[in-house]
Amino acid sequence: MVDTTKNTKLFTSYGVSTSKTVTPEMAAKLISKAKRPLLMVGTLTLDPELLDRVVKISKTANIPIAATGSSKVSLADKDVDAKYINAHMLGFYLTDPNWPGLDGNGNYDTVIVLGFKKFYINQVLSAAKNFSNLKTIAIERGYIQNSTMSFGNLSKADHYAALDELIDNL
Amino acid sequence: MSKLTTGSFSIEDLESVQITINNIVGAAKEAAEEKAKELVKAGPTLFPGLESYRDDWNFKLLDRYEPVITPMCDQCCYCTYGPCDLSGNKRGACGIDMLGHNGREFFLRVITGTACHAAHGRHLLDHLIETFGEDLPLNLGQSNVLTPNITISTGLSPKTLGEIKPAMEFVEEQLTQLLATVHAGQESAEIDYDSKALFSGSLDHVGMEISDVVQVAAYDFPKADPDAPLIEIGMGTIDKSKPFLCVIGHNVGGVTYMMDYMEEHELTDKMEIAGLCCTAIDLTRYKEADERPPYAKVIGSMSKELKVIRSGMPDVVVVDEQCVRGDIVPEAQKLKIPVIASNAKIMYGLPNRTDADVNETLEELKSGKIPGCVMLDYDKLGELCIRLTMEMAPIRDAEGITAIPTDEEFTNLVAKCADCGACLLACPEELDIPEAMGFAKEGDFSYLEELHDTCIGCRRCEQVCKKEIPILNIIEKVAQKQIAEEKGLMRAGRGQVSDAEIRAEGLNLVMGTTPGIIAIIGCPNYAEGTKDVYYIAEEFLKRNFIVVTTGCGAMDIGMFKDEDGKTLYERYPGGFQCGGLVNIGSCVSNAHITGAAEKVAAIFAQRTLEGNLAEISDYILNRVGACGLAWGAFSQKASSIGTGCNILGIPAVLGPHSSKYRRALIAKTYEEDKWKVYDARNGQEMPIPPAPEFLLTTAETWQEAIPMMAKACIRPSDNNMGRAIKLTHWMELHKKYLGEEPEDWWKFVRNEADLPLAKREDLLKKLEAVHGWEIDWKRKKIISGPKIKFDVSAQPTNLKRLCKEA
Repeated sequence: MVDTTKNTKLFTSYGVSTSKTVTPEMAAKLISKAKRPLLMVGTLTLDPELLDRVVKISKTANIPIAATGSSKVSLADKDVDAKYINAHMLGFYLTDPNWPGLDGNGNYDTVIVLGFKKFYINQVLSAAKNFSNLKTIAIERGYIQNSTMSFGNLSKADHYAALDELIDNL
Repeated sequence: MSKLTTGSFSIEDLESVQITINNIVGAAKEAAEEKAKELVKAGPTLFPGLESYRDDWNFKLLDRYEPVITPMCDQCCYCTYGPCDLSGNKRGACGIDMLGHNGREFFLRVITGTACHAAHGRHLLDHLIETFGEDLPLNLGQSNVLTPNITISTGLSPKTLGEIKPAMEFVEEQLTQLLATVHAGQESAEIDYDSKALFSGSLDHVGMEISDVVQVAAYDFPKADPDAPLIEIGMGTIDKSKPFLCVIGHNVGGVTYMMDYMEEHELTDKMEIAGLCCTAIDLTRYKEADERPPYAKVIGSMSKELKVIRSGMPDVVVVDEQCVRGDIVPEAQKLKIPVIASNAKIMYGLPNRTDADVNETLEELKSGKIPGCVMLDYDKLGELCIRLTMEMAPIRDAEGITAIPTDEEFTNLVAKCADCGACLLACPEELDIPEAMGFAKEGDFSYLEELHDTCIGCRRCEQVCKKEIPILNIIEKVAQKQIAEEKGLMRAGRGQVSDAEIRAEGLNLVMGTTPGIIAIIGCPNYAEGTKDVYYIAEEFLKRNFIVVTTGCGAMDIGMFKDEDGKTLYERYPGGFQCGGLVNIGSCVSNAHITGAAEKVAAIFAQRTLEGNLAEISDYILNRVGACGLAWGAFSQKASSIGTGCNILGIPAVLGPHSSKYRRALIAKTYEEDKWKVYDARNGQEMPIPPAPEFLLTTAETWQEAIPMMAKACIRPSDNNMGRAIKLTHWMELHKKYLGEEPEDWWKFVRNEADLPLAKREDLLKKLEAVHGWEIDWKRKKIISGPKIKFDVSAQPTNLKRLCKEA
């Protein structure tokens, strides 16, 4: 088991509230319980190791993917429900209860993020953190302080192992 | 009582007494306002104030392009009530909420940038009037519309240096009013901060326009010249055997005296003068109106500042203003490089030698008695910097001073790395330095070498390294070969787009047959390295877009070559035309980019500029397919430049770091009510496609930015051929970079003639099968389906007051 709750060291803080750390098992439970989850995927998932796990999460838990940046290129032939959208625009639309979502069926209650540079996803998520009740779960290699829940800082190997554990628990 | 005026007069009975009045406070503006009243067809907003654009234009823009606030901090620490926790949009002790506070934070950045350009303009204007006199004509090339931004705001069209003064005073007065609004207890509504930011953006383009037109006129810069000379660029272009004077900043005023001294003393081939940031761009424009062979060089953008100093190459560093690192003096001092501060905005705590004897100051600097000095007398500055460079070079050469480690030192330093990961956490680019150090220990330096181009030279990594490894020097050591090969070419900034070029391109732009103007501007805080902007520029140039550039972006585009060894500036013409790569100039030249769009409205469509911002902006938003790219925007000035584009209806894509500006402007493409305009012929509402779908947003990668920008060039006024061309480019680019055709292409189709020619039949099938549109297959025509109709005569406008029925 990978302890994903230990290292929450930051270089700079966003201030008063930071995300709660979560274990892969807990993250899997939260994802499984979500009524309308969305897997928000960034361009770092062009890394084959991450890509493989993104596909497994999406397929195992039957979660649609918001493919941001240029991540859609690698997802196009993976038989997953993935649609391109700009991350900044998605961050905004997620705060709007009237957004019809990527499929026209309405906004989401839980967003799982993976494959972003820390500085970017923290900034994008700060809209949801301050101006919505959206639950966001970061399963990144780094600790994402503006999500609702997050893994701590991990080595590459531990991150892959943590994602595998999460997938096993879905 | 008669009013005093400027000029000279004598008093009767007093012999040999003449009184000269150079300036009367407020008189220039008063005279300008009098003149403005004479303008018969002026618009409603001459000399606008904080409220002038708010209801008529800004709120209309902000209704569709909603402010998206992404706070950088939970807290507000602005007054002594605080710190207050505003997370979850709570209100602080003063009553302001998280939205309002962050609107204020963004606004602060915009007015800071505006102030920077305006102060730059004021400095140049005063200095040049003192040097050349008020009557120096504004000779900017063969155009009648010389100062569209000034004209829109003030109704004035200055023809001499002196006639610019009222516009300068106007910007300064409004900036004071704007600054006052950030005081605690003043404005608290986020939406009003946005409106004020937009107003400040419009002022910024006036300030920039002033800065550039006065220097183009007085310093004999290229004047709307598509054949401005090609300039050498890159660290590898510096001849290390010669004394090297390095100038850093944005204000070229002082540097012209150094160049004059070099020329007077025939030193142009005996030493190197090269610059970083916009001073570099402007020093290579100096006296280049007649396209003389250039000798000054460009080293590169701001991210190279520390790297150049650490290389030990400069013998003297001169700084002026804006975008200059705060650690130049301590860094240069370690390598015995004297630093001269030539502008009162950055004095670094150095001793002021403005009134001292040049010979004495030279000795103080040479001996190392002082690490540098302030020198605000430009005549002395010119002499001091050149003589000091010539005399420091042999001293520094003899000592072989550089921060780059020897091979042995390098091996020892790499071995010290404990793989703690602190540098990875500290790096703003999130570069995996520990991993690269690990490979270097095993003898593989390629990972470290790869970091060189992405590293912005900030040295945050070095400050957290417990082993005190000079990480930047390590990276630069392995990149020495790469640095030596950094040799490119950049076309010298050509100045504004001429009226003739606008006349030639206007129809193509409004009809869409020129697919768009792509403006690549701004700073080097790229997420993935310098080459991003080269790739973006090349893609759009190959597709016949007009690519205009300024500032650090213009430099970085010139740093790379194709397989034939040619830069983009050699491969593409410098005119404002299809497939042209148009380097306008430095940061302040950005005013000519908005100016070009304004001139399309004024020259091609005969719209009134004077006091008519809303109508001009409305015209641009609905008809001129232009999109800005500030891919590495880091500065407050970049935010004001972008916001000035936004008020004029020009969207901009920023790099991922720019999410830290805290505020974007994004439309809800799914709300149909937002996508309607009036037809000015009859005032009836007409639906339009959701483009541009943002005025300001970020992209994650350059590959994502390209299709976003192509899409953002679509406009309601495109004719069929124009729309088909734009859809072709956007759909192809979306597929090329994002792996598939876009899902929403059909929203932009009004009839079959809008469809890209090569795929028309295939797309008609999709319209029928996927979207239920009715197709007449015999005639290959769309019978029903589109929500928007095409009418070649329609006149889309967001301003009801411009409609005939109104």
